[in-house]
Amino acid sequence: MRVKRAISGWLVLLVVLHATVIFAGFFSPYDPAEQDRKNPYLPPMRVHFVDARGRFHARPFVYSLRLHEGTFDQYEEDTSRPLPLKFLVRGASYHLLGLLPARLHLFGVQDERIYLLGSDSYGRDQLSRFLYGGQVSLLAGLLGAGVTLLVGLCVGAVAGYFGGWRDDLLMRLAELFLALPWLYLLFALRAFLPLAVSPLQAFYLIIAVLGAVGWARPARLVRGVVLSAKERDFVRAARGFGATDAYLLRRHILPEASSVLLTQAAILVPQFVLAEMTLSFLGLGVPEPVPSWGSLLSSLQQYSVLASYWWMYLPALIMLPFFLGYLGLGGELQQRREPYKIGKEPGGLR
Amino acid sequence: MRYLLRRFGHAVFLLVGVSLLAFTFTTLAPGNYFDEMRLNPQIAPETIAALRTQYELDRPLPIRYAHWVSSVLHGDMGFSFAYNSPVLPLLWVRARNTLLLTITAMLLAWGIALPLGIWSAEHLGRLPDRLLSLGTAALMVIPDLALALGFLVIAVKSGRFPTGGMVSLHFESLAFPGKLGDLFLHMALPITALVLSVLPLLLRHVRAALAEVLDAPFLLAAEGHGISRRTLLYRYALPAAANPLISLFGFSIGTLLSGSLLVEVVMSWPGLGPFLLEAILARDLYVVIGGVLLSTLFLIGGNFLADLLLYWADPRIRTEASV
Amino acid sequence: MKVSDNDKDMQPLVRVENLMKSYANRKITGQCEEVRAVDGVSFTIFPGATLAVVGESGSGKSTLALCLACLEKPTSGNIQFEGADISKLAEKERRTIRRKIQLIFQDPASSFNPRWSVLEIVAEPLALQGSLSRDEIRLRALALLEQVGLSPEMERRLPAELSGGQRQRLAIARALALEPSVLILDEALSALDCSTQAQIANLLVDLQSARDMTYLFISHDLAMAAHLADEIAVMNHGRIVEQGPPDKILKQPQTEITRELLAAVPRMTFARPEAQ
Repeated sequence: MRVKRAISGWLVLLVVLHATVIFAGFFSPYDPAEQDRKNPYLPPMRVHFVDARGRFHARPFVYSLRLHEGTFDQYEEDTSRPLPLKFLVRGASYHLLGLLPARLHLFGVQDERIYLLGSDSYGRDQLSRFLYGGQVSLLAGLLGAGVTLLVGLCVGAVAGYFGGWRDDLLMRLAELFLALPWLYLLFALRAFLPLAVSPLQAFYLIIAVLGAVGWARPARLVRGVVLSAKERDFVRAARGFGATDAYLLRRHILPEASSVLLTQAAILVPQFVLAEMTLSFLGLGVPEPVPSWGSLLSSLQQYSVLASYWWMYLPALIMLPFFLGYLGLGGELQQRREPYKIGKEPGGLR
Repeated sequence: MRYLLRRFGHAVFLLVGVSLLAFTFTTLAPGNYFDEMRLNPQIAPETIAALRTQYELDRPLPIRYAHWVSSVLHGDMGFSFAYNSPVLPLLWVRARNTLLLTITAMLLAWGIALPLGIWSAEHLGRLPDRLLSLGTAALMVIPDLALALGFLVIAVKSGRFPTGGMVSLHFESLAFPGKLGDLFLHMALPITALVLSVLPLLLRHVRAALAEVLDAPFLLAAEGHGISRRTLLYRYALPAAANPLISLFGFSIGTLLSGSLLVEVVMSWPGLGPFLLEAILARDLYVVIGGVLLSTLFLIGGNFLADLLLYWADPRIRTEASV
Repeated sequence: MKVSDNDKDMQPLVRVENLMKSYANRKITGQCEEVRAVDGVSFTIFPGATLAVVGESGSGKSTLALCLACLEKPTSGNIQFEGADISKLAEKERRTIRRKIQLIFQDPASSFNPRWSVLEIVAEPLALQGSLSRDEIRLRALALLEQVGLSPEMERRLPAELSGGQRQRLAIARALALEPSVLILDEALSALDCSTQAQIANLLVDLQSARDMTYLFISHDLAMAAHLADEIAVMNHGRIVEQGPPDKILKQPQTEITRELLAAVPRMTFARPEAQ
C-alpha cells in the first residue's frame, strides 16, 4: 500500500504542475509575445510585505524598477513607487484551453508591469513565457511518448507474437536504432527535414522525430513481455478454447504489457521534454516567437547574458519539479509489483 | 573465438545498416544545399548544374550509395559543400576533441561509480547509503541541459574557469606543463558536467548489481570460510556482478556520446557537437552523415570492447564457444 | 473403471503414429542445437479409457501433450482424432479441433489470467464459442462450478485467493465447458498435497463415468497412474520404452527406468488394493 500511496502522491504533484501549464493564460500575467521594449533584461522583482519604512502591509507588493544612475543595465528598486499585487484582475485576453475567450488573470499590478522572473531582451515577461513554453515542451514530450509507445507496442507485439522472420527483421531494425547515440540520431533526423517551417509544422516534426528515435527500446520490452506471456499456460488454455490471435493479443497478452508501458511512459516523457528542449535550445525546434523551455534558455548561449543577466537561468530551476514528478512516478511504478503476481517485471537499463 | 567473430560480424552489420539508413534519409530529405544555392542570384544555374553532376546528385540512389561506400572504404567520406574540402579531415579534428572529452569522462565516471557503488551496496540501507541514493536521485532530476548551463553560469560568475573553447588564445606561447594545465582548466567544466550527467545512472546500477550478488549464498559460504571483507567484495562479488555491469559499460558510451554533443555546444568545445549543428543549419549533408557514422563507429567500437571484456570476465561464454 | 478391451468393433478415439517433435535450442553463444523432445511415439486410446504416460521430468511428456492438444505442430508423424489426421491441418481447422481436446496444466495458478475472476475464467471458453447470450453463459458457468464442487459464491474471487485444490477444480470446470471428448491431464495432480490429490482423483473418476470422458493422464507418479489408468506407457528421452496394463508394469517392470520410477513411489501408497 505504501507504493500505491506514493504513486498517487506523485500523480497529484504532476497534475497540479500540469494544471498551471494547461491554464497558463490564467496563471501568467501577460501574453508571452507581448513586448515592453523600454524594459529589456529587467531582473526579477521581489515580492515585499514590509516597505522601506518598516511598515507591514497585508497585501504583498513589488517596487517598480529604475535604472541605477550612471549605468545602462543596472536596475534598482524605486522605493517611492510600491505596486500592490492585485488578484484575479482583468488583463490581456487569451483563450482558455485554446477555446474559451477570457481576460481573467491570477494576479497583476496597475499601470506598471510586474516581472516575477524578469524580462528578456524584448522586455517579454519570463514567467508568462515559461508557463506558455511549458505547453509546447510538455505537450511535445507527452505526444512524443504517446507516438513512441504506440509504435513500440505494435512493433513489439508483432515481433514477439508472430516471431519468425518478422521478429528477426524488426529486432534487427531496433538494434540499428539503438546502436546510434540518441542525440546524434535526433540531429540526423532533424538534419534531413526542412529547417524553415511554421511553429505548428515544427511542433509536428519534433513529435515525429521523437517517435522515430525512441520506439526501439519500448518495442524490445514489449516483445519480451509478449514472448513470455504467449508461453503462459492461460494463453495456451485460451488457445485451446479456439481463441483467435486477435483475441489472445487483446484480452491476454497486451494487458500484460500495460504496466511496462506505463513505466516506460513515465520514463520517456521527461526524456522527450528534454529532447524537445535540446532541439529548441539549438534553434532546431519550434521557432520564435512561440516560446518553449528550450528557446527560453537559448539566450544563455550569449556570453553577455551569462555574465550580466543570471536570472535568465531561472526557468531551468523552475522546471525541476516537473522532472522530479516524472522521475518519482517512474521509480515507484518500477517498484510496484502486482500483489498476485510472482516474479519481476522485465526492465531495461533505463 | 567464434563468439568474438560473431560479435564482430554483428558490429559490421550495424555499421552497414546505419550507413544505409543515413544515406536513404538524405534522398528523402526535401531541399538540399543546391536548392538553397539556387535562390542566390549571384550563382549561375549552369554552375549549379555542373556541381550537381560533379557530386552525382542526379544519379540513381544505389549507384550513389555504392560509390559512397567504396570511397568511404578508401578513407574518403565525401565532400563538405560548405567548407569546400573533404569531410574526413574536417571531422577527424573534431572527433579527436570529442573523444578526449568522452573517454576522460568515461574513465572518471566509472572510476567514481565502481568504488562508491560497491561501498554503497555494502552499507545497504544505512544512513550513508541513503544519503548517497538521495544525492543520485537529486542529480537525476536535473536535466543535462540545465546542468551544463548551470556550470556555465557558475564559471562566469566565479571567473575562475574559462567559459568556452579548448585552449586559451596564448596557448602556443606556453611551455608544455603550462599547455597541459591550460587544457585541464578548459576541460574541467565540460568533464564535470558530463560525469555528473551519467554518474547517477552508473551508481544506481553498480549498487543494485552488487547488492544482488552480496545476497547470494556462495558469498555467505565464502564469508564463512573467513575470507576478508575486502577480498570478498573485489575478488568474489565484483566479478560475479560483471555481466550486467559490462552491458552497462556499452550503454554508458552511447549516453556519454550524446551528452557530450550537448555539452560541447553549450560550452563551445570544438568537438563534433558544434560542427554537426553548423552542418545541419547549412544542409551540409555529407558532414552530417559522416558525423553520425563516426559516432556510431565509436559506439560500436565501445560495445565491441564491452564484448571483449565480457568474454574475458564470463567463463560461461568462453567454455561454450570453445566447444 | 472402464476397461479398454480391444473390442474389435471399437474405433480408437486417438491414434498417434511415430510422432516426432524437435526444437532448435539456442545457447547464449548463439549456436543452434536440435533437441528431440518427442522421438517417434505411437499409441492409441479408445473412447472412455484412460492412458497414463509416465516418465521423469524432461522425458518429453509435456511436449507430447501440447502436440496432441493441437497447440504445437509436430515435426513429423501423425495424430488421428476420430479417424481424421489432425496434425497437418491449417490453423483455422485446428482451432475447432482444439475445443474437443482439452488440456489441464500442472500449475493451475499459471493457467489462469491472474487479473480475471473465477466466473470470467470459467466463462471464457463459453464466450469464445460465440453462440451464447450473456445470461446463458453465466448460468452455464455457475453450473460448471457446482459440478466440480466449487461454490457459486466464489465467482468474484481472483485465482490467487483460491487454494491449490480449488484452482485445479476450477481448471477442470473450465476444461469441461466445451464438452470435450478427450481431457489431457498434464501433471494435473503433482502440485497438490496428498489428500487434495485424492479428492481431485476421485472427482476425475466420477466425471469420467458421468460423461464418458477419455483421459490422457501424464505424470511422474507411477502409483497414481496405476490407480487411474487402464494402460500405462513409460516414456524416457522422448520414446515409449514400455507399455502395458498397470498390474504388469508394477509387478514385472521390464526396464531400468520403470524400476527407478517404481522406487520413487512412497511405500504407503504402493500398498494399494489390487485392481478393482
